[in-house]
Amino acid sequence: MARVTLENIRKSFGSVEVIRDVSLDIERGEFMVFVGPSGCGKSTMLRLISGLEDVSGGAIRIGGRDVTGVAPSKRRLAMVFQSYALFPHLDVAGNIGFGLALARTPAAEIERRVRDVAERLGIADLLARMPRQLSGGERQRVAIGRAIIRDPEVFLFDEPLSNLDAALRVRMRLEIARLHKALDGVTMIYVTHDQTEAMTLADRIAVINQGRIEQVGTPMELYHHPANTFVAGFIGAPAMNFLDGSVDDSGAVTFAGITIMPRQPVSHRGRATIGVRPESLRLAGTGEADLVARLDHIEPLGAETLLHFDTPLTVRVNEAVPATEGDTLGLVVDRTRIHVFPP
Amino acid sequence: MERENRFWRVVLLVLPLSVFAVFVVWPLFSSFWYSFTDWNGFDPNYAFVGFDNFVRIWTDRLFYGAIVNTALWMVAAILLPTLLGLALALLLDRQIRGARIFKTIFYLPICLSAIVVGQIWTWIYQPDWGLLNAVISFVAGEPFTHAWLARPGSALWSVIVAWSWQQTGLSMVIYLAGLTAIPSDLLEVCDIEGASPWQRIRRVVVPLLIPSTIVVIALSVINSLKGFDILYIMTGGGPFHSSDTLAMHMYNESFKKYLMGYGSAISVVLFLIALVIIGFYFRQLKRLDEIYG
Repeated sequence: MARVTLENIRKSFGSVEVIRDVSLDIERGEFMVFVGPSGCGKSTMLRLISGLEDVSGGAIRIGGRDVTGVAPSKRRLAMVFQSYALFPHLDVAGNIGFGLALARTPAAEIERRVRDVAERLGIADLLARMPRQLSGGERQRVAIGRAIIRDPEVFLFDEPLSNLDAALRVRMRLEIARLHKALDGVTMIYVTHDQTEAMTLADRIAVINQGRIEQVGTPMELYHHPANTFVAGFIGAPAMNFLDGSVDDSGAVTFAGITIMPRQPVSHRGRATIGVRPESLRLAGTGEADLVARLDHIEPLGAETLLHFDTPLTVRVNEAVPATEGDTLGLVVDRTRIHVFPP
Repeated sequence: MERENRFWRVVLLVLPLSVFAVFVVWPLFSSFWYSFTDWNGFDPNYAFVGFDNFVRIWTDRLFYGAIVNTALWMVAAILLPTLLGLALALLLDRQIRGARIFKTIFYLPICLSAIVVGQIWTWIYQPDWGLLNAVISFVAGEPFTHAWLARPGSALWSVIVAWSWQQTGLSMVIYLAGLTAIPSDLLEVCDIEGASPWQRIRRVVVPLLIPSTIVVIALSVINSLKGFDILYIMTGGGPFHSSDTLAMHMYNESFKKYLMGYGSAISVVLFLIALVIIGFYFRQLKRLDEIYG
């Protein structure tokens, strides 16, 4: 139950600067997700918070206490690794109680607390098993159990679901969300490259790119009001469509041969990149098309269908599509939901 | 097609199987046979004596001495290089200056033959002008010098030190390879959980090095069972049989006293001991394989 504050954090490996002047406040009890493409520095940020890496500049505070340079074990945090990091020579009970054993906690108390945690995670019947004998999901639970038992103020998750198959990932995602609710008030910082995980789990998301935070906000803020094309393109699946356009002095936006007056006033003038979410486009009825495009590929996903046009544009529709690949179709843009970015 | 394959399988196996049969199976069974005879190694006329040679073993005082020495030799020759190799690997695995040079220096002795190592250490132990006594004399004074290989109390241990000096480099290299194979996130868990350096080594690093330890001990067992040449060069089993191991005792009985039948009986006992050790080792190996894969 601690607030985590990053103040002008920098990290360099030799001459390569991987974290560039990052400042961020993570509220107590908040579920903060760091999301970004591979190599953007999100895992490094987590390692800096954990103390596994030393910062090159700036300060880290946990619960108001400056922990910059403090050993990882003194930061009152727990970490769940992508690889689970279970000790192969210890059984499940040994892995969960590892930290308590190091602290020379009496054996009876270790046993009681390990059983308590295992029951909360539904792995009480696995306590005598070795890690090799567990499935991916069970291993993940053991890793979480080892983190919970320390009663930390901050939980760090480093891409914990990346090694699981798609179905298990969805289930574990739900379990982590439940865990956050159950561990009332524990701050969680979660690193992922999967924007769906970020959107579904986070109270707030920090989108990271090339060692900088591009934008911080709630999932819906990032989705509906992305600060730039990077955030707009990264958040949302399928990604936002980008088209070349311009904004005239009156604020009218011209793109793909149409000119519209957005409902929200636009401050930018001149050449612009226009962003349109796939669900902000629909197939046009007779005489109402804003633009026409040739249908390249249809992706039926069951509940919805993705239409890929040659423009290139992607359109998300819920109904069955009365068209085949190669047809030229009219499209209508939802004028209330276009995004204008500097080029 | 299948018949042709079988033909070639048999043809290709004939040569290696023949070599194995001539150089391993035949001498093995010959030893078994000679252990029941009174053959002297030369005379084609020898007699079947039943279990006489094995009965004689029970009453052979030198045999018991050799058993004790073999046990000491094996335990020390396995433990010392293993522990020293592990300690050196843990020291040199860190980013310290000169680590590479030290690794090379500690590994070099394994490139020498046991004969050369034996000769070098015989010079080191030489009572009058050897390096060890020179250093002891310089540091503590001449009364503390010692005839290392000439005294029954120190001869075997002196050879064990020389042996360990040679074998430690091999253990060190195997442990260094094992250390690089330990996943870094397991060590990071230690950092987060607050393990002291000693707890980290005892509870995580050493258990995770068990696959390396299996290899080190396997090589040590094999090498120590074969460890005849260095003893032969340095002490020849003396003085007064104080460094006689089973292999050395067998050699002396067979080739110095020309009691080939009795020597063969000793070799059969040595073979059975090796069989028990290797059987136990493989049982442990299977159990560990279930944990570490």
